[in-house]
Amino acid sequence: MSNLDTLTQKIREKAKSLLEGGQADVVIGYRTGTVPLMAAPFFARTPQDCDQLVWSSFARLNLANYLPGRTEKVALVAKGCDARNAVGQVAENQYPKDKLFILGVPCSGQVDAAKVAAKEPRPIQTSEETDDSIKLTGPGYSTDLKKEDVLRRNCLTCAHRTPTLANELVGPEVPSLPTDDFSDLTALLAKSSEERLTYFKDLIKDCLRCYACRNACPLCYCPVCFVDETRPQWLGKSTDPMDTMTFHLLRGLHCAGRCTACGACETACPVNIKVREFNRVLDKTVKENWSYEPGLAWDQKPPLTVYQPNDPADFIK
Amino acid sequence: MSEFEPKVVAFFCNWCTYGAADLAGVSRLDYPPNFRVVRLPCTGRLNPKFIMEAFKRGADGVWVSGCHPGDCHYIAGNYYARRKFILLHTLLESIGVDPNRLRFSWISSAEANKFQAMARDVIEHVKACGPNLTFRKAELQLDLPEVA
Amino acid sequence: MASKNIVGAVMVAGGGVAGMQAALDLANAGYYVYMVEKSLAIGGRMAQLDKTFPTNDCSMCIISPKLVEVGRHINVELLTLTDILSVEGEEGDFTVTVRKNPRYIDMSKCIACGECTKKCPRKLNNEYNENLDTRKAIYVQYAQAVPLKYGIDAKECIYLTKGKCGTCKKLCPADAINYEDKAEEITFHVGSVVLAPGFTPFKPTVFDTLRYNDVKDVITALEFERYLGATGPTMGHVIRPSDHQDPKKMAFLQCVGSREVNRAANGYCSSVCCMYAIKEALIAKEHSGGNLDVTLFYMDIRTFGKDFEKYYEKAKAAGIKFVRSRIHSVQPESGGGVKLHYVTDGGVSTLEFFDVVVLSHGLVITGETKELSKSLGLETDNYNFAKTSTFAPVALSRPGFYACGVFTGPKDIPSSVMEASAAAAAATSKLTPARSTLTKVIKVPRPVDVTGEPPRVGVFICHCGINIASVVDVPKVVEFAKSLPFVEYATNTMFACSQDSQEKLIALIKEYKLNRIVVSACSPRTHEPLFQETLAAAGLNKYLYEMANIRNHDSWVHAGHPAEATQKAMDMTEMAVAKAALLVPLKENVIDVDPTALVIGGGIAGLNAALTLSRQGFKSVIVEKDSKIGGNANRIFTTAKGESVADYLSDLKTRVQNDSNITLALNSHVSKVDGYVGNFESTLSGGQIVKHGVTIIATGAKEYKPNEYLYGENRRVVTQLEFDELLKADDQAVAAAKTFVFIQCVGSREKERMYCSKVCCTHTVHTAVELKKKNPEARIFVLYRDIRTYAQKEDLYKEARDLGVIFIRYEPERKPQVSQNGKNLSVKLLDPVSGHHLVMEPDYTILAAAIVSGQEHELGMMYKVPLDEDGWFFEAHQKLRPVDFATDGMFMAGLAHYPKPMEEVVAQAQAAAARAVTVLTQPKMTVGGIVAEIDQNRCSGCGVCKSVCPYSAIDLDDKGKAVVNEAMCKGCGNCASSCRSDAPSLRGFTNAGLFAQIDAAL
Repeated sequence: MSNLDTLTQKIREKAKSLLEGGQADVVIGYRTGTVPLMAAPFFARTPQDCDQLVWSSFARLNLANYLPGRTEKVALVAKGCDARNAVGQVAENQYPKDKLFILGVPCSGQVDAAKVAAKEPRPIQTSEETDDSIKLTGPGYSTDLKKEDVLRRNCLTCAHRTPTLANELVGPEVPSLPTDDFSDLTALLAKSSEERLTYFKDLIKDCLRCYACRNACPLCYCPVCFVDETRPQWLGKSTDPMDTMTFHLLRGLHCAGRCTACGACETACPVNIKVREFNRVLDKTVKENWSYEPGLAWDQKPPLTVYQPNDPADFIK
Repeated sequence: MSEFEPKVVAFFCNWCTYGAADLAGVSRLDYPPNFRVVRLPCTGRLNPKFIMEAFKRGADGVWVSGCHPGDCHYIAGNYYARRKFILLHTLLESIGVDPNRLRFSWISSAEANKFQAMARDVIEHVKACGPNLTFRKAELQLDLPEVA
Repeated sequence: MASKNIVGAVMVAGGGVAGMQAALDLANAGYYVYMVEKSLAIGGRMAQLDKTFPTNDCSMCIISPKLVEVGRHINVELLTLTDILSVEGEEGDFTVTVRKNPRYIDMSKCIACGECTKKCPRKLNNEYNENLDTRKAIYVQYAQAVPLKYGIDAKECIYLTKGKCGTCKKLCPADAINYEDKAEEITFHVGSVVLAPGFTPFKPTVFDTLRYNDVKDVITALEFERYLGATGPTMGHVIRPSDHQDPKKMAFLQCVGSREVNRAANGYCSSVCCMYAIKEALIAKEHSGGNLDVTLFYMDIRTFGKDFEKYYEKAKAAGIKFVRSRIHSVQPESGGGVKLHYVTDGGVSTLEFFDVVVLSHGLVITGETKELSKSLGLETDNYNFAKTSTFAPVALSRPGFYACGVFTGPKDIPSSVMEASAAAAAATSKLTPARSTLTKVIKVPRPVDVTGEPPRVGVFICHCGINIASVVDVPKVVEFAKSLPFVEYATNTMFACSQDSQEKLIALIKEYKLNRIVVSACSPRTHEPLFQETLAAAGLNKYLYEMANIRNHDSWVHAGHPAEATQKAMDMTEMAVAKAALLVPLKENVIDVDPTALVIGGGIAGLNAALTLSRQGFKSVIVEKDSKIGGNANRIFTTAKGESVADYLSDLKTRVQNDSNITLALNSHVSKVDGYVGNFESTLSGGQIVKHGVTIIATGAKEYKPNEYLYGENRRVVTQLEFDELLKADDQAVAAAKTFVFIQCVGSREKERMYCSKVCCTHTVHTAVELKKKNPEARIFVLYRDIRTYAQKEDLYKEARDLGVIFIRYEPERKPQVSQNGKNLSVKLLDPVSGHHLVMEPDYTILAAAIVSGQEHELGMMYKVPLDEDGWFFEAHQKLRPVDFATDGMFMAGLAHYPKPMEEVVAQAQAAAARAVTVLTQPKMTVGGIVAEIDQNRCSGCGVCKSVCPYSAIDLDDKGKAVVNEAMCKGCGNCASSCRSDAPSLRGFTNAGLFAQIDAAL
C-alpha cells in the first residue's frame, strides 16, 4: 500500500471515530475531484460519508477557509500550512479552539497544475499517482511525471510540512525542508526600481480582478472586503492596472504576519498569477524585523497588534 | 514654469508635526509650497490605503510625519503606526516605487527648523524622481460619486 | 461657619503654570475663579522655555493648550495688568481689592493683527527674549500669548509720555486704541486665595568675577534658553554672542546665586538648575549638529526627580563633560570668548578657553512678592519663601491663604503643577457649601437637526489683516470656493476670529441655512474651539466644521511665492470643503458618575487623599493590604523640619477613623476590576464589591534590603528606617554611641536602579544634625556621591557642616569597604580630594537604602494603567499631568509614583484628590464627540482593534463583536486604521472624509 493510501485509510478511520464519538459534527477534508489533478473539499457528516475522504497530492486548497463563523464542531483535515492557518483563525476569534479538532496530515508537497500543464500541454483526462510519480492519460497518450518536478514552489520551501499543533497526526512526521531564503527576491531587490516595478506590473498584467485568490484565502474572512467598499470606494471597478496593483498590495498588507504560505491563492488563480509574490515580500520583512512566523502557537500575537518601543525603522527620518 | 513642480500629499499628526508646521509659520520659515496637508489626530490613524489613494490619484510624493517615538499624544499610536510603515515602506520599495517618493519622519511640534529642512528635503528628492507617471491611475475619474 | 456667608469663588494670583493649573482645577470643581496677573498675558516663566526636562518636550507645545483652556474657561475671569491692593476678611469670605492698570487697548476690539506694532517708532528691549532683541512700545508679550491682545507700555509710549505720535491709533483697523484708558480699582469677594506669584531668575550682576556685566559671551541660562528657542532672537541657532559665530566650546557654571551666602545671600539650592543646564547642554549639542563641546562645572549634581538620573547618564553618554570644581574667575579674550579659571576637586588650578559661558542662575522671590507677603500678613523664611508645614504643604500662615509653585520654595514644573492641584483642594476645603453657587453654565440653543439635508457649505476666507491677504489673493480664493460642490455661500472677512465676524457668521448661518462651515484662516489647533462655539451658538452641531490653515501653513511660509500660495490656499479650501460636505453631526452622550473614590493604599498619601476628598464632601473606600494604616510613616521618626511623624500620624489615623465619609478595608487588596471612569466596579479580596467613579493609586514603595556593606551580617549596620526606629525607641546603645558612618546611595543610582531616591540625603543630614545636637562630641561621617539637599533643605546641609559633620565623597567605582573584626566595624574608603585612604571605626553604619517600587504590575493591568521600567506608576504627562493617568478617572499619589519626601507626598495626595474632584463633582459626564464607533455588520470579531487601542476602550461583546467605550476613547483612530474590513471608524476623521481630502488635494 502506498503512503498516500495509508494516509487516506487513517483519515477515514479517524474521521469515523470522531463523528461516532461525537467529537466532531463534521469532518472537513478532501474527496477525489471531478477533474483530473484536483482534490475537492468534502464535508463528511456521517460515517458513511467518510469513505469518500481521500489524501492526494492534489489537496491544494486550504480547508481552514471553511472555519470562520461555523458553529458545528469541526475536525479539519489539514496540511502543515492549513493547520497553522487554523491556529491563526482561533487566535483571531474566528473559530473556538475547544470545537476544533485538527487532523494533521504530514504533507510531502502538493502538485502545481500549471507546472504539469507546462510539461504535458495536451488535454488530460485522468491522473493517477503513486508516492513519487504521476501518471497522466489523455487522448492517445500516457505520460509519467516525477512528482518532485511538479510540486508547487511554496511546497519546495516548506519548513512546517508536519502540522505543528495538530490534535492528532495521521501519519509519521515528514522532515522539514530548508525554509524559503527569498534569494530570488533578494536578487530582484538588487535591480533598479524601474526593473522591479516592471516585474511586478508584468506579474499581474493578466489579473481579471476575479478575487478567486481572496476567496480561496482563509485569512480573507472579512464581512466586507475593501475591494467591495463604496464609501469611500477604495478601489476603482475598472481593470486599471493601478487599481489592480492596489488590490494586490493591500491584499498583501492585510495578510502580512498572518500568511502561512499555503498557496491556496495561487492555486485558485485562473490565469496563474504568482500572487504570493507580494505576500513573500512581506513575509520576508516580518521575519527579518520581528522573527515572527504565524500559526506556531495558540497565544501568538500577530506583529501588527503589538510593538516594541525600539522597533528598528531607520528609514523614518 | 519650466521646472517640474511636484504635488506632495502630506499626512501629519495633529499634535506634533502639524504643530511644527504651525510653528514654522509663526517663525516664518519658508519651504516649498508643494505640500497639501491632511491633518490626522495621530499617525496611528493613517491607513496604508490613504497613501495608495494619494499615489493612485497622481501624487508625485507622499510624506507622513508624526510624533517622535515615545512622544505620542495617544501613548502608543505611533508605535503601532511604525510597524505598519515598516511593512508599507518595504513593500512599496520592493515593488519598485522610488523610495524618494515616500518619506516618513518624526517631527515634534517644537521642531520648526527640522520641519523646514525636512520639507525642503522631501521636495528635493521628489523632484529628483520626476513626475509620477508609473505609479498612478492611467485615467482619473474625478467625479464626486467615487468618493461620496 | 454655617452662620457665615461662604463665597464660592477663589482668587488665584499669578498666571504661570502653577496658577493656571490651580485655576483650572478650581473652576472644574465648581468654583468661580478670579485670576489676577500683573503682566499683559498669562503663561509665566514656562512660556519662555524652549524645552522641558527630562522628556525634552517643547514647552510652548505643552503649555499652549492650557493657556487656551484658561483663556476660554467660562468660570475663569482673567484680570491682566492687575495688582492686588488688599485682602480683607477671613476664610470663607474675603473682600479683595485690586487695581486694574490701563492697557490702552480696547480688548473687545483688538484683533491682534499686529499693524500697530509694525509702525510703532519706539523700540525697546524685549523682556520675553531676555532683552536679546527688541519689541515696540505697543506689543504682545509673545506670539502665543493669552489673551492675545496688544497693550501699550505707558512709560515708553511716545504719545503717552510726550503727547505726540499717535501712529498706532491712526493705523488700527479695529479702532481699538484708547489713550484715555485709566487704572481702576475693582472689588470682589472670594472664599479663599491661592498665591502663585512665581520667581525671578537671579541676576548675576553682583559677581564681578564672573563678568556677566561686561563680557558679551557670559550669558545667563534663561538668555541661553531664548537662544535655543525657535522663537528666540536667533531662531534656535546657537551662537557666540560677541560675534555670532558658531561656538565650539561652551561651559555651564552651576549654583550661580544659589547655595551661596556671601554675595547672593541665597543659601538654598534652586532645585532645577542642574537639570535645566543638562537640558540646555543636550539641546545645544543637538542644535549644533554635534560639533559642540560642553562642560558643566558643578559642586554636586542634583538630578533627584523622576527620570532625572537617566537624563544625567544620557548627557554623559552624549559627551557632555561634568567637572566638579569651584570657579575662580572669568577673563575675556580679545578675539571673543573667555578664559575660565577654575579649581578642580583635587585642588588643581586650571585655565580653559570657552566660547560661551552660561551662568546657571537660581530662582529668587521678587521684591514685589516680598511686599505682597508683608502686606497680606504671611510668614516667610529668610529667603522670602512662604512658610508652610510638612503636613500642610500648601497652606500659608494666614488662614484662607494657600500657595503653589516657587513661592514656597524652588521647584520644577511637575512639582508646581502638583502643588497647584493641591492648593485647589486645600483652598476649597472650607468652601464646599458654596460649590457651584457662582459658576456659570454655557447655554447653547438646541442644535438644528440637519440629518438628511444636502450639505450647504458656508466658506469664510480670512484676510487676517494682511497676514494672509498680503500673500494670498483672497478674493480669488473666494470666487474659487463659490465654484465648489455644495458651497452655498462664500465670503472673505478681515478677521474671522473677531467678535463682529463671529456675530456675522451666526447671522449668515441662519440666513443661508448653512449646515457645514469651512473657515480658511489659521490653525485649528488654536482656533477650532472658538469657531465651534460660534457654530453651537448658531444652533449648528459644532462638529460640522472644518478649517483650512492658509496662514501658518501657507501665507506665512510662502511669502515669496504669492501665485503658488494662492493656488495652495484654493486647494486647501477645496480639501476642507470636500471633507466638510461629508461631516455629520456628532452626538455627545451623558453618563452617570458614582461620586465615590477608591483609594488603594493606606499610607500618608492614601489617607490624605481620602481626607481631602471627604472635606470636599465625597466618600471614599481605602484599601490597605496591611493590618494597619500609616504605611512607611509608621517607621519614620521626625521630618526634616523636626516635626514628629508619630504625633502627626496618630492624629491623621484618628481623623480617618472618625470620618464618616471614609471606609477602611484593611488586610485587603483589589482582586478584580470592571468598568471605567465614573462607573468602576472593583472587587476586593474579601469579596466586597466597591462601586466608584475614580480610583487613586497610592500603593507606596519599600525600602531596599541591601546586600552590601555587611547589612544583615552585623546588627550595627542598619538602614535609615531601621535607625529611625531605634531613635524613636530612644535606643540606649545609639545614645551611647560615639561614631556614626552614613553611607549614601545604597542601591540607588546603580545600573539596575538608575534613579535617585530623592529623600535619603536630606534624611541623613537631618539625622546627623539631630545626633550632633544631642551629642556634640559624636563623630559623624557621611560618605556620599553628590549631596542632594535641594531647595531650602540646603540649610540643613550647611547646619550639619557647621556642626562638624564630616562629608566625604566616594566614587561609584571605589565604594567604601565595610569590614568587621568581631563586633567591631571598620569602614575604609579613598578620599578623592586628598587621595588618602581613610579608615573609620563606627559604632553604627547607617545605609541610605534606596526606595524601591512595589512593582504593582497586576494592579496596573487591572486598571489598565502603565508602570515604567523601574516599576513606578507612569503618569499621563511627566510635566503637566503628574498625578493623572492617561486612563480617565485614574490618579496616583505618593511613592507609587516616585520617591519623595513627606511634604511632597501630602501635596501630591491633595493634588490627586483635587483632580479626582473635577470628575466626581459632575453628576453626569459628557462623552463622545470625536471618538471611534464600530459598524458591527463589518466586524469579524478578530480583535485587532482591541489589541491596538492604547486606552483599552474596545472590548468584544457577548456576540464576539467589537464595541467602543466612548468614555474611554480618546479618538486616536488606531483601531480604524488597523481593521482590515473598516468596521471601526473615527468620527470626524472618517475614511470617506479623509479620502475626499486626498482627492481634493490632487
